[in-house]
Amino acid sequence: MFGKAGSQSGASFNGSGALSHVYIRSPPLRCKVPGSRGLYYDDGNKLLIASTSDQVFAWRTVPFSPTASPTCDLISEGPVLSIRFSLDVKVLAIQRSRHEIMFQNRETKECFTHWCKTESESILGFFWTDCPTCDIVIVKTSGLDFFVYKSESSSINLVETKRLNVNWYVYTHESRLVLLSSGMQCKNFTGFQLSSAGLIRLPKFEMVMAKSEANSKPVLAAEDTHIVTVYGRIYCLQVDKVAMLLHLYRFYRDAVVQQCSLPVYSSKISVSVIDNVLLVHQVDAKVVILYDIFGDSRAPISAPLPMLIRGFVRTNSSSRSLSRENDSAETNEFNNGVSIYGDDWTFLCPDLVCDIGKGLLWKIHLDLEAISASSSEAASMLEFLQRRKLEANRAKQLSLALARTIIVERRPISIVAKAMDVLITSYSHSCKSGISIKAVKAEKASSSSMVVQARSSINELNESADSDDNAKVKKVAFTDMQPKGSSTSQVLSQEKAADSRSSSFHTQVSGSSSRPLNANLAETDSQLSSAAVSPDEIYNFVFAPVEEEMTGDPSYLVAIIIEFLRSANLEKVKVNANHYILTVQLLARSERYSELGSFIIHKIVDPSKEVAYQLLESGRQNLQTRKLGLDMLRELSLHQDYVVMLVQDGYYLEALQYVWKYKVTSVRPSMFLEAAASSNNSQHLAAVLRFFSDFSSEFRSSAEHHTYCHILNGMNSSIST
Amino acid sequence: MGLSAVDNVSEELQICIFDLRRGQYEGQELDKILFFFPVDSPFSVQLSVIGLSEGLITFTRIFSPEASCEVIEADKHSHVFYEAEPDIWTVMIVMKDKELEAVWRTEALRKVLKEIHSLFKMFHGSIRSLLEREPDGRLIRSSLFSFIMDYLKDFLVGKKLHLPSFRDSLQERGTVQMLTVGREAAIEVQSLVKTIEASAGVPTCYSLILFQDLLVSSTLHPEDTINLFTYAILRLSPHAMSPGVRSWSYLRKGSGATHPTVGTVSTSSSSISDVYGSLSTSGTDRNSTFRPLQSGKWARGKDPFLTTDIWGLEDGASSSRTPTAWLQEEKMYLCAYQHKSLTLILLLPVSSISNGEQGITAVKHQVLENASVKILKVEEKLSKGWGGENAYHVAGYRYLLVDGDRHASRASPPGKVTTLTKESLLALNTLREQVDLEKNRAKWDDPHKETNLEVSIRAKNNAWVIARLARGKELYMVLEKANETLLYASDAVEKFSNKYCNGAFSLD
Repeated sequence: MFGKAGSQSGASFNGSGALSHVYIRSPPLRCKVPGSRGLYYDDGNKLLIASTSDQVFAWRTVPFSPTASPTCDLISEGPVLSIRFSLDVKVLAIQRSRHEIMFQNRETKECFTHWCKTESESILGFFWTDCPTCDIVIVKTSGLDFFVYKSESSSINLVETKRLNVNWYVYTHESRLVLLSSGMQCKNFTGFQLSSAGLIRLPKFEMVMAKSEANSKPVLAAEDTHIVTVYGRIYCLQVDKVAMLLHLYRFYRDAVVQQCSLPVYSSKISVSVIDNVLLVHQVDAKVVILYDIFGDSRAPISAPLPMLIRGFVRTNSSSRSLSRENDSAETNEFNNGVSIYGDDWTFLCPDLVCDIGKGLLWKIHLDLEAISASSSEAASMLEFLQRRKLEANRAKQLSLALARTIIVERRPISIVAKAMDVLITSYSHSCKSGISIKAVKAEKASSSSMVVQARSSINELNESADSDDNAKVKKVAFTDMQPKGSSTSQVLSQEKAADSRSSSFHTQVSGSSSRPLNANLAETDSQLSSAAVSPDEIYNFVFAPVEEEMTGDPSYLVAIIIEFLRSANLEKVKVNANHYILTVQLLARSERYSELGSFIIHKIVDPSKEVAYQLLESGRQNLQTRKLGLDMLRELSLHQDYVVMLVQDGYYLEALQYVWKYKVTSVRPSMFLEAAASSNNSQHLAAVLRFFSDFSSEFRSSAEHHTYCHILNGMNSSIST
Repeated sequence: MGLSAVDNVSEELQICIFDLRRGQYEGQELDKILFFFPVDSPFSVQLSVIGLSEGLITFTRIFSPEASCEVIEADKHSHVFYEAEPDIWTVMIVMKDKELEAVWRTEALRKVLKEIHSLFKMFHGSIRSLLEREPDGRLIRSSLFSFIMDYLKDFLVGKKLHLPSFRDSLQERGTVQMLTVGREAAIEVQSLVKTIEASAGVPTCYSLILFQDLLVSSTLHPEDTINLFTYAILRLSPHAMSPGVRSWSYLRKGSGATHPTVGTVSTSSSSISDVYGSLSTSGTDRNSTFRPLQSGKWARGKDPFLTTDIWGLEDGASSSRTPTAWLQEEKMYLCAYQHKSLTLILLLPVSSISNGEQGITAVKHQVLENASVKILKVEEKLSKGWGGENAYHVAGYRYLLVDGDRHASRASPPGKVTTLTKESLLALNTLREQVDLEKNRAKWDDPHKETNLEVSIRAKNNAWVIARLARGKELYMVLEKANETLLYASDAVEKFSNKYCNGAFSLD
């Protein structure tokens, strides 16, 4: 009976009818070890740590792999409250009690213990930092202690102390921000950021707490306070259980500003951030709501839906159906035992969830495909997709598919125009912000040495980017920032992100999204860093396929291309000849030759050799159009092509004038001679012969000269007889 | 002041339209006359003019069945022929007099006849179709009468009709004048065009956009573009709609200077209408014909499209009926909208609007809803980029540039052309006459081959008068006070060609 119910619930998680925008993937990372006493998460190194009485096991969670094998360190026996590796992973720090932290060098196994000075204070926790002034921060009820770790002397030296009463604290390594709670209701906060520039003290602030009754004052708990990092900005989320609201605070260097309040439908709330998308887990309701905190809109991306569990696909295939097939056999054993949003679930920053009871670690994924399918708002969905970086390639494919769909469905031009605007703007920003793939990759790897690398590569990039125009814009934006100094526009950003995204950070400030670099470079790499779509790709994956699919009057597609060109023109994005050739083809096919003419004359269609030849081709049925092609060749100074076309149209004498004027020496005399001879006009033939005799010194002695002189004589004699 | 009050007109100008297929028997000759100007000419005069014309046509057809008589130059008169429709001829007879500045270019006069017919056909349908509808000829006679009289009123300067003379050699009737816009504005315009045409919600729909008196965009067939453009300039553009404001469009020179007070021909001179009426039609019938060229009849409506009662009133309602026009054999509703200097004409097939005026109102509403923001934006953009009425003046040059492929022309502003001496203009007129001849001759030799031609003439007053024809484009130029060498003239053309014509005339 029980088993049956289990399988049913498993089936409902996997059922093809089930909708979800967020899923976890089987198999999970199993982190259960015999004799395990506890599981810890070291977010500085992104390590999941399990301890037994005398051993410490640590699994890397980035990159996430269910088959990852743990490292193992022997430790002395004793109680363990928390464990964190130093950021270079050479030292193990274990909090043994409320008063002592033990440090162990992993190579030499040397140990030493740090004790609290007085009995009255106790240690709330500690963390390692890459702040230049200190290595380790210990949070105590009496405040913060900053220490430098000395490996040679096996000691830590106190360098700074901040005295204040602390009830509890929250910290994420991602934000380098520690928030210290104080006060009766625990709603007064002091924040410090351990940035690369040193310690930054944030202004004190108070969180909003609704009162349930007149005399009861709710107390804020640590688990109701979350620090999240979204688009390089740091937010604090606070659950107000009385008001059933999730308050969102944004941190600036000199201010903390409450941004908005999101409704919640569960008293237990957890948050995750995946690819800058905020996931608010309504744990009691067992659903998750997605928000893209970027623009002004605070509307959820989609309706609340449950989280599903899916099979693990090794090929990292984008096909959902494939992943469902794999679901069936391989993963049932996990699914049967998995209780989504179970009591043992602990959400780890930013995108992991751990079932502590079973010792399973899952990584949470967004199903971009499902999200994009769930919205009918094409432009806003494209904006959302264009901001995705984690699965940039899929986001890009989905963007293209969405663009195709709205055109094939013949949605109103204004809607498609907006969609084009989004794509072009996104591409334009990706070109301007110019972040390399290398940097983004480095960002993903979490070791500190890699971060340093990423930083240096960014510096290189900025220097190299200075040569182009885009960089100027960026520089202006940057210098604009400086005098403001502590104005609210100066976003307090986490150190690493601030460095490795320095340029994107500034474009964000100026109110625009940031896109790493250049799609051509990205194409060569399977790991795209941006979903930005180049005009060329829009042609290849939107216009070209759509054009084949759509039948009937092409004026709709022409209208769309015009909107595309308008966006591109506004953003100063260069458009490939393909688009123009297609425009010419479409207009010629519907015999709108006079419109085509005005497109050419007003240079809506950018002149190029390719376009010129398309005009010549389309002009087979329409002389005016053919002449536009000829004129374009001439205006582009493609002398050789122009002359050949003139001769083809029978204007060989005019062609000769042109040859003379522009000294087009590459032309073959035979072309003209044949044309003149076939016209049966001896005067013209004589003129051509004479022309080339003057024009080129070798012509007189050539065989052609001889041949055509002979033909000319023949003509003349036939006339005289 | 009616046209007919002009006494001396009959001496200088006669226009007649007749149908060779009618009145073939003795005693029925009057039947073939469809229109005669001056209207009060005695029938004997009318018959003798038409008899002569018919004789010449019949005679020349013996030699050239395809294209008979084009022009007869008599000692004192020129007879200009134009076969508007098969066997329906229009003939214009003008008096030649050097003293009175009566020096004409045949082709320019023929273009007037052509324009009359094209415009007539656009609003009424072909003459033949009207004749078939009412074989007694009443309908066509009354329609032609009111139409041509309204048309000719625009040529009235003071008490004289001013037909295009040698002074108008730097103009080309039957072409459109385009506004030059930058790429960005052009894209915005196209975006507007597509928005309008898409929001009309009918499968085929066309539009024409003008800025001031210049064409910005058209999705019509080139012929329809010319006709509708001409009509818009005559009656719909901001200049045409506000009498008293001088139109700077050169084609409108006559009417602009002294806009005739609108006294309708039929009512103001009953004697004439009696004469004409006795020939063809009773007064009541004529009142039922609509007069699309009647001036001062368009106004801004409530919707706020332009409105006119020319097409009559809606049955049982006070609102005006939506105008219609024939484009490429299809009857279209014509909706005109004006925002400041921007005039926007939307054409909807009558067949695709199922519920008449109601349907039109819905379409208008839809268009405004979707496009009004774009209309504002485009108007603003075009206004900003516009250089004023002398925008296309090129210092030192008096020119006319005709693009035969686009049916477009551009010329020195009329105000600048008036600075030329009479000698220069006469020389140019002669040159153009010759070029016209040359073009026609070449067309007969090989209709597919385009004439390329260069002529530079040193006129008696030491001005250079230049004509260039290259691959369908024509350039006419007068350079006064210029250096005497041919090299100088040629250089001047070359510079002009490179700067303003993308090097179209820079072959040599």
